[in-house]
Amino acid sequence: MEKSFNKINLINELKERAKELNCLYEIQELLNDKNKNTNEILNGIIQAIPPGWQYPDICKSKLTYKDIIVKSEDFDESKWVLSSDIKVQNDIVGKLEIFYTQERPVCDEGPFLKEERRLINTITEQIGSFFFHEELKSVFEEKKQTQKVGNSEWWIILEMLKKTDPKLLIRISRKMVNYLCWKGIDEAETLFEYFDPANPNDKNQFKETNFPVKAKSESDSLNITEKIIEISNKYLSEKEIFDNISRWIKEDQSGFIVNILGNMGSNFEEISSVIERLFHMQNQGTELSPIRRKNLKTTLIRRLLGDSRDFVNTAKNFLEIDDFYELINKTIYPTNSHGKYGGKAAGLFLSKHILQKSHFSNEHTKNIKIPKTWYITSDGVLCFIKYNHLEDISEQKYKDIESIRKEYPYVTHVFKNASFTTEILKGLSNMLDDFGNVPLVIRSSSLLEDQPNSIFAGKYKSLFISNQGTKNERLEELSNAIAEVYASTFGPDPIEYRHERGLIDYNEEMGVMIQEVVGKKVGKYFFPAFAGVAFSQNNYRWSGRIKQEDGLLRLVPGMGTGAVDRLSDDYPVMIAPGKPNLRVNVSIDELIRYSPKNIDLIDMEERCFKTVKVSDLLYEYGYEYPYINNIISLISDNYLQEIRKIGTNFKKGNFVVTFNNLVTNTEFIKQINSTLNVLEKEFNFPTDIEFAHDGENLYLLQCRKQSFGKIRRPSKIPYNIPKEKILFSAERNITNGTLSNITHLVYIDPQKYNQISDHSDLLAVGKAVGKLNKILPKRQFILMGPGRWGSRGDIKLGVNVSYSDINNTAMLIEIARKQRDYVPELSFGTHFFQDLVEADILYLPLYPDDYGIIFNEDIYNDSPNMFPKLLPEFSSLSDVIKVIDLSSESEGCMLNIFMNENESKALGVLCNEAVETDDTDSETKQSEKIFVKPDPDIHWKWRLQAAEQIASRLDPERFGVKRFFVFGSTKNATAGPGSDIDLLIHFTGDQNQLKDLNSWLDGWSVSLDYSNFLKTGYKSDGLLDVHVVTDEDIKNRTSFAIKIGAVTDAARELKLGTELN
Amino acid sequence: MDNKSYNPFLSAQKQFDKAADLLELNNAARDFLRNPMREFNFTIPIRTDDGSKKIFKAFRIQHNDARGPAKGGIRFHPMETVDTVRALAMWMTWKTAVVDIPLGGGKGGVICDPHNLSLYEQEQVCRGWIRQIVKNIGPNSDIPAPDVMTNPQHMLWMLDEYETITGGRYPGTITGKPLGMGGSQGRTEATGYGIIIALREALKELNIKPENTIAGVQGFGNVAQYAIELYNKMGGKVICVSSWDNKDQKSYAFRKKEGVDLKELIEITDSFGGIDKEKAENLAYEVLDGDKWIEQEVDILIPAAMENQITEENFNNIHPKVKIIVEGANGPTTPEADKQLNKKDILIVPDFLANAGGVICSYFEQVQNNMNYYWTKDEVLSKLDMKMTNAYVSVSDFAKQNKMTLKNAAYVISVDRVARASQNRGWI
Repeated sequence: MEKSFNKINLINELKERAKELNCLYEIQELLNDKNKNTNEILNGIIQAIPPGWQYPDICKSKLTYKDIIVKSEDFDESKWVLSSDIKVQNDIVGKLEIFYTQERPVCDEGPFLKEERRLINTITEQIGSFFFHEELKSVFEEKKQTQKVGNSEWWIILEMLKKTDPKLLIRISRKMVNYLCWKGIDEAETLFEYFDPANPNDKNQFKETNFPVKAKSESDSLNITEKIIEISNKYLSEKEIFDNISRWIKEDQSGFIVNILGNMGSNFEEISSVIERLFHMQNQGTELSPIRRKNLKTTLIRRLLGDSRDFVNTAKNFLEIDDFYELINKTIYPTNSHGKYGGKAAGLFLSKHILQKSHFSNEHTKNIKIPKTWYITSDGVLCFIKYNHLEDISEQKYKDIESIRKEYPYVTHVFKNASFTTEILKGLSNMLDDFGNVPLVIRSSSLLEDQPNSIFAGKYKSLFISNQGTKNERLEELSNAIAEVYASTFGPDPIEYRHERGLIDYNEEMGVMIQEVVGKKVGKYFFPAFAGVAFSQNNYRWSGRIKQEDGLLRLVPGMGTGAVDRLSDDYPVMIAPGKPNLRVNVSIDELIRYSPKNIDLIDMEERCFKTVKVSDLLYEYGYEYPYINNIISLISDNYLQEIRKIGTNFKKGNFVVTFNNLVTNTEFIKQINSTLNVLEKEFNFPTDIEFAHDGENLYLLQCRKQSFGKIRRPSKIPYNIPKEKILFSAERNITNGTLSNITHLVYIDPQKYNQISDHSDLLAVGKAVGKLNKILPKRQFILMGPGRWGSRGDIKLGVNVSYSDINNTAMLIEIARKQRDYVPELSFGTHFFQDLVEADILYLPLYPDDYGIIFNEDIYNDSPNMFPKLLPEFSSLSDVIKVIDLSSESEGCMLNIFMNENESKALGVLCNEAVETDDTDSETKQSEKIFVKPDPDIHWKWRLQAAEQIASRLDPERFGVKRFFVFGSTKNATAGPGSDIDLLIHFTGDQNQLKDLNSWLDGWSVSLDYSNFLKTGYKSDGLLDVHVVTDEDIKNRTSFAIKIGAVTDAARELKLGTELN
Repeated sequence: MDNKSYNPFLSAQKQFDKAADLLELNNAARDFLRNPMREFNFTIPIRTDDGSKKIFKAFRIQHNDARGPAKGGIRFHPMETVDTVRALAMWMTWKTAVVDIPLGGGKGGVICDPHNLSLYEQEQVCRGWIRQIVKNIGPNSDIPAPDVMTNPQHMLWMLDEYETITGGRYPGTITGKPLGMGGSQGRTEATGYGIIIALREALKELNIKPENTIAGVQGFGNVAQYAIELYNKMGGKVICVSSWDNKDQKSYAFRKKEGVDLKELIEITDSFGGIDKEKAENLAYEVLDGDKWIEQEVDILIPAAMENQITEENFNNIHPKVKIIVEGANGPTTPEADKQLNKKDILIVPDFLANAGGVICSYFEQVQNNMNYYWTKDEVLSKLDMKMTNAYVSVSDFAKQNKMTLKNAAYVISVDRVARASQNRGWI
């Protein structure tokens, strides 16, 4: 019942929109009909209007234009009226009024819809422009008749303007003067003075341009205009004048656009209406000049999407003002909103356009889709807080992390019980009608996310809702979810993270994205065929043959939650898109053990997010599962076999998720590769995307910078270290880095941890680690523990900690003790791991049972344990948790850790002194170097041209110069913005000539330096670095003379005096 | 890990020396059987996916083919050593001899890590391996099979390369092929069934009726499951099975005094033999600690999980009622525990006899390939029964005659058979 009701509702709305459009078309047709006179047209309009309104039967309209009045039949005024002025060139010349003769329920504006408001405005706008053209036409005709000698068109236009809009005429005159001056016409400069505010002789005239309504000024300006026309006529072609004038008139019409869009302070409503009008105006031939367009769109980008320099620089190349139309139409915002879209929404919106428009794009990237998305502006959360008087909660972030954690459930509770303002609710309701009852995902889109180097990966919530049931139920579910996402702003993890990044004092405004969940309905479930995340840089290489730039893909069947989070003991399929055939799992046993067993989906009947077993799903819905033959393989006779939908019995057989066919038989890998490639190139930064595939199309769900950490230098592994000094060694999955000065060691004994049987004790271990994290000297201790740190599901697999429990450690070590023939899976490539990389916490997996590995258990077991002293309340755990003070233990020893990826070796060594670590400066520089856009080689080219210029103008006889060379960075094409130009001059003249030469070159040097300053902002005493060598120098090969004819890096000779007569 | 000095080949030789002493073999025989007859060392060049060349080191060791073509697997392993392969080849010679099938012993390997190779590259390694050794293998000389990190897919690539070069269809070149591609029926059942056939014969000798016995099984993988199936068919009752719980990282024993229901247990078991603990509890199984399997009041223990399970530390926990231990796994009893158990008069059916069902089935696969006629599962299993029974009886007779344990008898009898074949050919 409810469902059909909703459908009817939706259909009604669509009908309304169709009626409105019909009405608009009909009116447009009337206005363009050349066979009808004005009266007929206006009468036609009056008749065309009522059918476009919600209640046509009781709808009457009345149009007033100057002294003409046209009305519907049986016209009767009432108090329910919607009216809009007709303007010609900003003057009100008439009015259109629409009346309902009977009372109707209250909508947006009395009984009228807000769409109807927009419609009437559009109609009057069009009528206005019709009258404007009519007037133009009549002036034109008039002119033609009075001046037999056919004057040119532009003249007519100006004449017409004189009558109808002298203000505009003056603005155009002014532009013409500018234009003439710019063209270098001296005569115009006298006119220029007329407008010049600094001209003391004629101040009044300047004023008059601002107040042209005064009679005197008008005649004055008309005089000037005539002068201007005279001059223009002399110097410019008719076409040039006409083109310019018509362009200026058009630009002038768009003045309101500039006022709104060019202003960072405009509110959302204003921007929205302008973009909408602009969108419609284009269809009527109104255009903005390219430069104005560029200016406006940059302002728009900064105002709505984000104003980090890199983002704006990229975005302006791919976005047009029109592109915002689609965005704005699907945005919900509070009154007087000054909000933005937030990093996630902006990233996705821009990525979409990059994938379409980049010249690196290909058919693969162009085929990528974006799910239908609605947005709530970032100040929605502030408005929500204010409306519910929750201001106190904003101070939450200044509390200590423990109270934040304790109070977080309360915050969530309060938020979920708070309500939204009616305008937002109305927006949400419209949005739900637009979506229909498809499952939705609510994602946060934080403003802080677009800060350079901050990635709030998984810190804020994304929630799925089934969006089933009655409209009210759906609205309730939706607003609950949004409130929960809002509440996540005040969770402990994001706050901790913001503290660290120095972002805590920024107001956390958070936009919200509401997306259609990609997928298909299969039985009672809804899910995509598969989904996942992809990184353009691979930080977890399971084979030495995989390079960092080969990227990393994590794929799961169904919804992508499992690919992002580390839940329980399930495993996503990992693929390096650059080397798709080198898979992590090779043997059949590995494939069975480490392939995804569960699938996340939405249960449409129970209306909830669910995880079910892949095997159960296949049993029930194998045949309906979209794309299934690309997702699973059959294990039979102990080897993998491809499946085909036909002839596969899903109720029987051992199926395993491999994505083998997806890799070999589809374009998917190419698609992902091109996408990562295009995005990384255009964003100029490693990228991280989330995607889903419904069996037909690949959808991009998210795009952001990949947290990448610093690119660390490999450490030199010391040799000949006595065995008792080595704490551990490792040879698998080693990254680069060096740690020194480690004074404390926190060691969770894997065996003892495994023996804990009480669940609450297991949780207590995590809590104790969180406390140690606060007590121990920051970045001077390391954490060592069994299996996977931060395991959210099966706590036995590793200590249950979250990011804020470990953020002060210098290194996280996961110990994988062999359990029978099985080694626990470590945590590479998850959100948690990403946090480590980003926070610059080193990660090292230890496999103490591997052949030849040193794991000095005595030190862990025999050293005095400080733990009970540090945290007496946890003393019952003191045989599980060991805290060892290395400095007291071994006479001031410190732990140094050396890691070298190329050698695939890591060593933890106890030393008496600290070793030198990489200095952070060079690290950052290195990482910057890698991702700086290949600098356009303007610097050296320009320098080389300058050197050639100097040579060509240098008179060899006058200055006694025999040969002229350039060398160094200019010659080698490596010059940067601050480089000088190295010149080498073979000089054979006398002292006077040398003096002349030097002063001649000094002139060049200073002026080149100035132009370099203008180009780059770099300033020095002179750009030339001149080295003079003599015959003798060359003979003896002394000083710079060796550069001449050198075997390597020889100076390059330039021709002298070619430009002299 | 201070076993750097451990050399598997040296310890295999030591074991052989003991048997040789008992058999009083002459020096020539010892020298001959202590070492492989032929060793092939070669390299396999392949072109990788990115166009570069890569070279892999590979082996084939044919320890002895006096009784028939050499037989043994091919391993892909990055840490492979020639001594491991030598030891395993020798072990195959004794295994084929103890069950008296007309095959010898061999083993091969490639030093490579499949984790570093794409499937296409692995295919090239397989084909490259065949190209290098094609003249020295074949249905009449040496028959490879899958082993560590190789599976039927690799075998099919190898077979295809062999057949391409030799220009015919010779499915008997390689065993372990899938059904329909020359594989044999009964392969999955063979090892588990073989264990129980050996057990049946042992019970016969002790004059115990299987239907009056109770057993405990360690492990619940493929082998254990089929062993229990046949044992149940013979009327025996299993009251306890243990299985590894991957989630908890420990094993549990599942006990039902009135006898476990194989079908219902399989339904709650994953493909690695892990039984779902909660579901088992719901089905009224007692869930005990994994070690408890050994302490049950049973007549028979079948360790079918992994090596070194019955040790000096725990052999005393074995219930006094236990009469027979059938080694389903490889080396489940340590040599020290072995001695103690013999003192207690517990009969141990040794691993390389008890779990030889697999290699017998490979032999059958090859036989069917060579005649290009395929038996039904029943035919295969009844022939398996015959082979296993004969093997057990002859080992047992030998043991009684010479007053030695089954383990020693099995070893000595197989060395004796190989030595005689070599002698009869006039080699030694």
